[in-house]
Amino acid sequence: MATPAAVDVDSPPAAESPAVGARPGGRWWAWLLAAAAAAYFYIAPIMLLDSFQRTLATVFMFAALAQGWNVIGGFTGYPSFGQHAFFGLGGYTVAVLMAKARWSFWPSLPVAIVFGALFALLVGMPVLRLRGHYFAIATLGVAEGLREIVSNLSSITGGGAGITVPAVGALATTKYPGNTAFYYLFLTLAIVSTLIVWVIARSRFGYALRAIHQDEEGAAAMGINTTRAKTAAFMISGAITSTAGALYAFQQVTVYPDNIFSVSEFTVLPVVMAVIGGTGTVLGPLGGGVALAFLSEWLRRHYTDLHIFIFGAIIMVGVIFLPEGAANSLRVIRTRRRLPFLENVRRYRL
Amino acid sequence: MSDISLSVEPGSILGVIGPNGAGKTTLINLLTGHLAPTSGQVLIDGKDLSGSKPWDFAHAGVSRTFQIVKPFRGLSVRENVAIGAMFGPSGQKSVPASLEVADAVLDRVGMQGKAGALPSELSIADARRLELAKALAMRPRLLLLDEVMAGLRPQEIEPALALIRSLRDDGMTIIAVEHVMKAILAISDTLVVMHQGKELAKGTPAEVTSDERVISAYLGQRYAQRTREADSA
Amino acid sequence: MSRFLQATVLGLLEGGLYALIAVGFSLVWGVMNIVNLAHGAFVVIGAYLAWELKEQFGIDPLMGMVVVAATLFVAGYLIQRLLINLVVNAPIWMTLLLTFGLELLLVNAVLFIATANLRHISTDYNTASLVLGEVRVPYGQLIAFGVAIVLTLLLVAFMDRTRTGLAIKSTGMDRGAARLVGINARHIYAVTFGLAAALAAAAGAMVAMARPTFSPGDAGRFTLFSFVISVLGGLGNTWGALAGGLVLGVVQAWGGQYLTGTLVNAIAFGALVLVLIVRPSGLLGKPFYEARVEAA
Repeated sequence: MATPAAVDVDSPPAAESPAVGARPGGRWWAWLLAAAAAAYFYIAPIMLLDSFQRTLATVFMFAALAQGWNVIGGFTGYPSFGQHAFFGLGGYTVAVLMAKARWSFWPSLPVAIVFGALFALLVGMPVLRLRGHYFAIATLGVAEGLREIVSNLSSITGGGAGITVPAVGALATTKYPGNTAFYYLFLTLAIVSTLIVWVIARSRFGYALRAIHQDEEGAAAMGINTTRAKTAAFMISGAITSTAGALYAFQQVTVYPDNIFSVSEFTVLPVVMAVIGGTGTVLGPLGGGVALAFLSEWLRRHYTDLHIFIFGAIIMVGVIFLPEGAANSLRVIRTRRRLPFLENVRRYRL
Repeated sequence: MSDISLSVEPGSILGVIGPNGAGKTTLINLLTGHLAPTSGQVLIDGKDLSGSKPWDFAHAGVSRTFQIVKPFRGLSVRENVAIGAMFGPSGQKSVPASLEVADAVLDRVGMQGKAGALPSELSIADARRLELAKALAMRPRLLLLDEVMAGLRPQEIEPALALIRSLRDDGMTIIAVEHVMKAILAISDTLVVMHQGKELAKGTPAEVTSDERVISAYLGQRYAQRTREADSA
Repeated sequence: MSRFLQATVLGLLEGGLYALIAVGFSLVWGVMNIVNLAHGAFVVIGAYLAWELKEQFGIDPLMGMVVVAATLFVAGYLIQRLLINLVVNAPIWMTLLLTFGLELLLVNAVLFIATANLRHISTDYNTASLVLGEVRVPYGQLIAFGVAIVLTLLLVAFMDRTRTGLAIKSTGMDRGAARLVGINARHIYAVTFGLAAALAAAAGAMVAMARPTFSPGDAGRFTLFSFVISVLGGLGNTWGALAGGLVLGVVQAWGGQYLTGTLVNAIAFGALVLVLIVRPSGLLGKPFYEARVEAA
């Protein structure tokens, strides 16, 4: 076996450089922190105010939505801007099954999850052939179209007037479980979705997705069935998002198409959270979701008139200075001992 | 590209040369599923794979390097190569096993110390070796090399040739598209010359370089003269 | 039959205005590969500025349009040069998020300053209609349509005949090569964006004049229409935007006549997705900008 005799003097010394994106393993202290936080949150409701529990439930929901987007957008690099399609689909599935078919919530939930995955499969077939902006807009178009269709199927969905889940009184198929129950449900969803992302990140599937993201042709040439991988990622993303929508519908009791199919609330906001937290990482979207959800709530309470304005400004600043997200930037700060903010600007500017 | 009929002997090296635009990369694209033939067939080991997807070709044992190297920029060198081990025909089932295979392949191409580096940190010669390592990790039966020598310095070419020869000696079938004449003539068992999408000549390197049509289309009289003088010396 | 004719005429007129709204968006997307989610906000700002000019100074919207367009050209130039240029080389969702943040900012600023009240500009001429047989052609919309056509023609002339226009086109085709021959890409990008903002603002002035009402909430719809029209007509293709706008306007008008109200939008989106899948370069698009090289 011939080893090249000539030493290439130009090649740089082998530095143990961290790869961008989730590395199987990660930092142990972050995991310890996450586990401790999870344990705390499961015990916490004893001490927390009911209203704060409701706030936290919303925070956890957004964390789950961010992770849902992370799978298709962060790992696979297909920026879906139609996540609210799955969210609304999940919500309406539960609402219709409970209100019209008189089902209880608990069997309705799995149906919503399955519908989310199936819708992703169906829509993915044509749409995953597109890339970049085109994919983003196609998914947006599908979601908006779904909203319109749901609005118009008044006999089933109640149309623009919305649909109410029977959750109180004698006619309730499942009694409204209260804020604490939703707190636990959303907390569990956030943890489960993060675990799903964690498993993906360490697996061959995760490598396949990252390969597709970084060079789809090359990935295909190396034996990755890109169609199957992309579709699977989209289905997982859809299932997570529709689960969140199902829980949301039950929590809100009354569902309106314009509310539940909101692009800015349930697509763009989670995307911002995932990006600022760190796309393609495991804890990034979780952290980003929690941080930004709290920020959004705080702004809403203290600057009622201008909170959206301020939020818009924060999004812009975040995108410019933290394009790799907080998780990746933290890693750069730790390993290279440099503040990456200006570097990021220099790297991405024209 | 038209009227091409090629077959390769297992365990030999087929060189493909020809002027730019002759269709050499198109040939490789046809053999890897990046392009589908409008007529005719692509048979790998007797199996008709015309029109199949690139991953089907990969699973049939075909792998290639790209003329413009395309590493996965966000993954380390080791991870890049491991992808080949994970999803190639010999498909390792676990990530750690694939990483081990990657390390072995990197040793084979002479990049032992660089497994943890990012592709952006590599020199061009190392980037080429990475391309090769990625393809080798798939344990191909047919390896397609697309101008691997381009841009290499003279002292880098010899080791590369030695590596390719050793792969052939281990039983791999190789088709190499090249412009660097010295290299391709030295290494090919059979040579095919392409011109304007068609096959111009086929044979041993000696036969092909003395073929008049090849000389007028590609090599030029002076080169042919020099080669003849070198041969008779 | 006359209902159909009426709907078609109104659809065409409205489509012309849609085209003007969309043409700048399409240009920016085609040349710079930037999808500007704040585009609708520029239209709305144009509308409000034109309204203010009429209210405070009595300036007719047709004149006010020029002022408004010039103002937003400068604003757009600065926004691109100082802000969006910072993320041009980043993954696509960066520009999407950045412009989304900008949209939130702008729309809510307008909302705060001007409130959500529906507004409209009344002039001497936009209350009456021309009557051709059984078809009523509102003067306001007719004039807006005329302005849209004229501006579109001016844009085509600008792109084809001026040095700046050529610089824009060549930067759109191959940024690295354009820079090599001395074109200042940062400046050209800013000019293109400014141009788009100016056209959007002009469209906004016409919207204020021709449509019954407008409010900050319209911004999202304008951006969405610009998407659909750009895809239908092909990115960066000015004639395509015009055609796309007309098609969208007519389809919406017909749909409004024969289908329940909001299903029309579902059809528009369905058509959008279909076109994206079958012919991503648009119904009229050429692969002009698809071969774009952005290496530098």
